[in-house]
Amino acid sequence: MILLHRLVRLLVVLLVVTFLSYALLGLLPGDPTTQILGLSATEEARAQLRQELGLDQPLLVRYADWLGGLVTGDFGTSYINQVPVAQELAERLPVTLELLVAAQIVALGLAVPVGVAAARRAGGTLDQVLTAMSFALLSTPVFVLGVLLILVFAVTWQVLPATGWTPISVDLGWNITSVLLPAITLGAGQLAVYARLLRTDLIATLQEDYITLARARGLSPRRILWRHALRPSTISLITAVGLNLGALIGGTVIIETLFGLPGIGRLIVDSIFSRDYLTVQGGVVLISVGYVLVNFVVDLVYAAVDPRIRHA
Amino acid sequence: MRRRLGPGFWIAACWILLVLAGALLADLLPIARYDETLAGPPRSGPSADHPFGTDGLGRDVFSRVVHGSRVSLGVGIGAVLLGLAIGGPLGILAGYRRRATDAIIMAFNDVALAFPSLVFALAVVAFAGASLRNVLIVLGVLGVPAWTRLIRGATLSFADREFVLAARVLGVRDSRILWREIMPNVAVPAASYAFIGMAVVVVAEGSLAFLGLSVQAPTPTWGGLINEGRTLMDDAPHVVLAPSLVMFLTVLSFNLVGDRLRALTDVRHSGLEPVRQAPPAAPAAPVHAVGDSLLQVEDLRTHFVTERGLVKAVDGVSFTLERGRTLAIVGESGSGKSMLIRSILGLLPGSGVDRSGNVYLDGDDLTRRTPEEMRHILGPRLGTVFQDPMTALNPVRTIGAQLAEPLRVHLGMNRKQAREEAARLLAQVGIPDPGRMLGRYPHQLSGGMRQRVTIAMALSCGPDVLFADEPTTALDVTIQDQVLRLLHRLREERHMAVVLVSHDLAVVREWADEVIVMYAGKVVERGPTAEIFGRTRMPYTEALLQAAPRLTDPAHHRLRVIPGRPPDLVDLPSGCAFQPRCAHARDRCVTEAPELLEDGHLYACWYPTGSPISEGAESRGR
Repeated sequence: MILLHRLVRLLVVLLVVTFLSYALLGLLPGDPTTQILGLSATEEARAQLRQELGLDQPLLVRYADWLGGLVTGDFGTSYINQVPVAQELAERLPVTLELLVAAQIVALGLAVPVGVAAARRAGGTLDQVLTAMSFALLSTPVFVLGVLLILVFAVTWQVLPATGWTPISVDLGWNITSVLLPAITLGAGQLAVYARLLRTDLIATLQEDYITLARARGLSPRRILWRHALRPSTISLITAVGLNLGALIGGTVIIETLFGLPGIGRLIVDSIFSRDYLTVQGGVVLISVGYVLVNFVVDLVYAAVDPRIRHA
Repeated sequence: MRRRLGPGFWIAACWILLVLAGALLADLLPIARYDETLAGPPRSGPSADHPFGTDGLGRDVFSRVVHGSRVSLGVGIGAVLLGLAIGGPLGILAGYRRRATDAIIMAFNDVALAFPSLVFALAVVAFAGASLRNVLIVLGVLGVPAWTRLIRGATLSFADREFVLAARVLGVRDSRILWREIMPNVAVPAASYAFIGMAVVVVAEGSLAFLGLSVQAPTPTWGGLINEGRTLMDDAPHVVLAPSLVMFLTVLSFNLVGDRLRALTDVRHSGLEPVRQAPPAAPAAPVHAVGDSLLQVEDLRTHFVTERGLVKAVDGVSFTLERGRTLAIVGESGSGKSMLIRSILGLLPGSGVDRSGNVYLDGDDLTRRTPEEMRHILGPRLGTVFQDPMTALNPVRTIGAQLAEPLRVHLGMNRKQAREEAARLLAQVGIPDPGRMLGRYPHQLSGGMRQRVTIAMALSCGPDVLFADEPTTALDVTIQDQVLRLLHRLREERHMAVVLVSHDLAVVREWADEVIVMYAGKVVERGPTAEIFGRTRMPYTEALLQAAPRLTDPAHHRLRVIPGRPPDLVDLPSGCAFQPRCAHARDRCVTEAPELLEDGHLYACWYPTGSPISEGAESRGR
């Protein structure tokens, strides 16, 4: 029942999201026909092209048409290079996905030990140092961090490549080296967010009666932290992982441009510059839908973490 | 409570002012023009003439950074004000009106949050034209959902407070309530978020500029400068480092100022372990000889250093307890009962706690044990049950996992043995079908069942003393009796001692052998149960007894209460702590604190009830 309710809600949100991204981009100034035919084209030629592309139809009709295509996986064909948008997105999706997953691994893999260490002695030296560090990390724009990392690891030490991409299918080792710097850059800001959240929640959990009672049973602080306190403290963290995906995807646009990775973010930036509306729309919709779906899944993950929700 | 903003706040604020001044006065400063090529030799490092060096065209990097701050700060301030101007009213409306208004606004908000905002900003700016105005509008509008959410949350939390409800009941107009009651309270979180939002916008503008989609050349922007500098990283890294550093410091300062403002309204501090282990108190000469009692507590004190002053939560408590006996600790809420238990067990919260005195378990002083050594005593020798079974069990672990854990840790059982023992323990505390119960989660159990589980847990390693802190307060009456019977039976079977904290005197009278009455952290009366109930000496104990409703009371009988309020532990009354509320108090009670006197049993009172002095005398001012 709850699942059905959520599914309906999901569909409504998806409908609104796709419409808004279609409508807003469609209403912006700029004319695709200029891009295709050039500035010198005659008005008749433009009108004819508009008709061919269906641009003379009302917005709602065009949206319905486009949405019908979306459902069957047809994102339209780029006006600029005549390649199906779906094909282009599919080619680039794995790069962005790998980058996102790697960044989350970096962020979560470090945030959990850092958050636990800080909460263990709240207000202690380690806590203050870690809090200050995560604060600094939080205040570093992703492109500044990326530039600095390139400067240190690629230019000065020359241990990692500054740009370029090797797919997993070609060489796993090179793939990892090429994703390492981008993933660290993208994950660093999330690391700071996650560590702070986990620290705050852990400190709250550690005030609970069941933690005092665990101490009263003579269990070690290490065991109490990892086995008793960590799991009940992860709800906010899981929420943040879902919600921050938006910020993370925004970050991929910068990261993919900075490190020269052939992903969705780079495709959108390039398409923006070449006024390739359909590709931009396709990219934005893909990202928005992905974001909504991930948060839908996050809701389901709560149940796995907290049995109280599972049995509700 | 006053809290300080700290030096970091002021340093950050000064940096923001400095950057702001630079942005405003950029044209008046004695520096090279930002677009003047060959102001110095190209790609030269920092020097007196060019503090940040020069770029590939010989332009002064310092001048370019200063001019770049105009775009960053201009967009930052403008977009935040725009976001606030739209999101603020929406948030207040949603938070104050609730219902449909709230639902509609928040539904829009959720959808808006689903957009990848940076990607969206990119597209809009690219298609609408990369001008200062467009960037500002786009970033401002993208900030609206966050502002709405924040202001709504702040409004919601205040719309329920007593002073707002009171104003509503009095028929004050909504607009007046909003302006007079809610706005001032929403102002602090809003000011805090304004700075954090500024940081967000500066980064977002930087990102657009970095991609070449903010204000166009020749106007310098920080993001643009960093992008240009990238190509010179090999031989002139200062070109990229200078704007990076300035940008980092500015964003950091905005975040810091916002964070400190937020911390003004946020109070929470603690941890699992004390920040610094308090040095063991100097071995006070044992006033009392250490007897061979099972548990002997000598002059135990627990003081908390708080911002308001020293709180003497436990102040010189002594008692002894033998096997097979039950000691009850009674007193009002806040009299230090629970803190006494925690102090004996060494389970005091984090920092700022000072414990002195001695706790002997079979002659072994527990206050001298390290935390590691205490871990072998807690569980196997001292068991604990808390008041509220709803919060005493970890909600995300099964009963079996929680029950088996101390068995494996302390008794070295393997998984299978521990499971079998756990089932046996559950059966012992009267839980039907223990095997199935092991796989359940706490929320699937009733309160009484949960309390049985926590008792089983406390008993699992066969303790010598069981501490039960109000074990039945949260349960309903029929269950209460079952649980107390269970505790009594287990005490007999296992030949344990029980320390029972309770404010229910009927329970104490029925189950305890000895009673300690606590008031303001001190023992005010102590003795065998029959003595305390039969020959009450301390007026406070008498008041407690009278305040307890009895079944024999006639119907519609007026409930007796203890006059006055429990004392403020930071600012105790002079002399006897109970004297302001005591009907028998006289001058001596105000000037001199009574010691515990022995007369049949121990009591701390100058004019005990039941004595001729008290009965005959005129009480002070009444």
